[in-house]
Amino acid sequence: MDSKEVTLLKRALERQKKARQQAERILEAKSKELYDVTQHLQQTNNKLENLLTEKASELDGEFINIIDPYVVMDLQFNVLNMNSSAKKFLGYDHTKETLNLSKIVHHDFMEYTVQSFESLIEVGSLQNYRAKICTKNKTEKWIQINASIIYDSERKPIAAQGIVRDITQEMEVKQLLSEQRKQLDVIVENSPLSIVLTVDGKIIKANQTFTELLGYSERELKQLSVKDISAAEDVASSKELMDKMNNGELDKFAVVKTYFKKDGNPVLAKTLVSAVKNEAGMVDYQVALVEDITNQKELENQKEKLLEELEKSNEGLQEYAHIVSHDLKSPLRSVSALASWLSEDYSDKLDENGKFNLQQIQEKVEGMDRLIDGILRYSSINDAALDNTLIDLNEVVQDIKEIIFVPEHVNIKLLNPLPSIRVDKTKVHQLFQNLISNAVVHIERSPGVVAIDATETKTHWQFSIKDNGVGIAKEYHEKIFKVFQSMGNNERSTGIGLSIVKKIVNLYQGKIWLESEVGVGTTFYFTLKK
Amino acid sequence: MNILLIEDDTIEIMKLQRMVAKHSLKHNIIEAKNGEEALSFLESSERLPDIILLDLNMPRMSGIEFLEILKKDARLRYLPTIILTTSENRVDLLKCYEIGIAGYIIKPLKYEDYQGKLEKVLAYWNVNELVKG
Repeated sequence: MDSKEVTLLKRALERQKKARQQAERILEAKSKELYDVTQHLQQTNNKLENLLTEKASELDGEFINIIDPYVVMDLQFNVLNMNSSAKKFLGYDHTKETLNLSKIVHHDFMEYTVQSFESLIEVGSLQNYRAKICTKNKTEKWIQINASIIYDSERKPIAAQGIVRDITQEMEVKQLLSEQRKQLDVIVENSPLSIVLTVDGKIIKANQTFTELLGYSERELKQLSVKDISAAEDVASSKELMDKMNNGELDKFAVVKTYFKKDGNPVLAKTLVSAVKNEAGMVDYQVALVEDITNQKELENQKEKLLEELEKSNEGLQEYAHIVSHDLKSPLRSVSALASWLSEDYSDKLDENGKFNLQQIQEKVEGMDRLIDGILRYSSINDAALDNTLIDLNEVVQDIKEIIFVPEHVNIKLLNPLPSIRVDKTKVHQLFQNLISNAVVHIERSPGVVAIDATETKTHWQFSIKDNGVGIAKEYHEKIFKVFQSMGNNERSTGIGLSIVKKIVNLYQGKIWLESEVGVGTTFYFTLKK
Repeated sequence: MNILLIEDDTIEIMKLQRMVAKHSLKHNIIEAKNGEEALSFLESSERLPDIILLDLNMPRMSGIEFLEILKKDARLRYLPTIILTTSENRVDLLKCYEIGIAGYIIKPLKYEDYQGKLEKVLAYWNVNELVKG
């Protein structure tokens, strides 16, 4: 081999060596690349596996619902993923801003949230977490979350996922209900009436008033039936009514019955029982309102007794007035008879003076007799004796015109027809007669006129009796209505007539007054309640 | 007529006697001071009076008590009994008519009025058919 050949060979060998080295380098690089790829593949594989676990966990969620907001967060509460429903509900978008869920929990619920989270980590899932949060637009919402933990391939917790439910409305309704229930409880518990709920005679619920009334606790009452606390004599009649109500014949009924307290003392109570029916019309409950009327009844009894006594004493008084009047009148009759006989038997022996004195005795006796009659009439005017019937006052006035003495020069007239009203005939007669005869007696001028009129108000009848007589001076306007207060210029007056008038007007819840001018005339006005 | 006047007041008795005497009426007045006296007279007497004039307000036995006993007695119940009283008490009036009376006369204040009323009463009973026991 020549040197040229050797050189060529050497060169070729060199090239070969270089090529091998290059190939080795390439191989090394490729091998590195391959390793890298393998590594990468492995990582990807891991990731894929994790994702798969994650997906599996996600799908594991019992409450998954695409409509409900769904959120995935890491263990520091940072949101990793959320669905559009969650974005809409919370107002946040995790792809545009970082969102840490702990920041939106209402501070009142922080402690609870921490506890819940610890339990989530420990158990792996969490149900019915309820809290208030604040969404991005600052509205407070009540939420409920069911959550579970996401693990990596080595079962290490790496994230948590949860389904969020908006329960704001539910909570508001619940709160409202509880508020209303509280209000209702306040009403029921503070009611002065006892309120008891029963089913088939068993006490289901009773308010404080009832427990206080009977001295049982509510727990004790719940062990008892209505029958246990009722007087034996009331049981049959109550049962009859209760059966009628359960049959639908009655919606409610009221009874007055006796209950027995825990200490054995009786309570008389008015009880109103109403049926509480369900949609099918069946009686679900009976609600009883119980009012303690023991005191009331006692008062009523007392009142009745007092009334009875009053009536008796009134009767006694009446009787007394009659007896006194008889005992006073009898000697007057004797005096009158004796005086008559004196003037008859001894007319020839008596001088003018003696005859005049006997005449005076007769007149005084007559005055006394009228006075006694007046007192008797006055004392017999009382409420108890009123016998009210429909009376035509025109007839009453007509009767009076016929009874009393009306001088030729006096005319009694009605300005308008009088009404018919419900009154006691005797009393209204007395009333009109006293006023009309008063008017007639005090008329001196001719022609004399007594004018009677009536008007009507909402509550009363108003009457007026007007005369053109002597009139009454102002200072007497009050006085004349008092007993025995006569004007004094008329010997025949007893001073009782107007007192009787006032008493009768008072009986009919009316008023009496007068307008008068001395020398011109007087108008008496009075009202009677319809 | 035989008239039994049951009356405790002397002057009242005098009034009736004077009236009968003055008009020369042929009436015989038997006096009893109260209900008990009248009853014992009626029970012991052979001949019953034709009418009874009875006062109401009397001591011991009242007129109404007397009337009740009278009307329960099989023999005496037919005697026409006229009340002569000062009592205008409606309760008394109703009670008397309920038990059974032949009249209710209120004694007027004046003797002349009394005379007038009693003349009529006696005249009326004088023309009546009487039981004549």
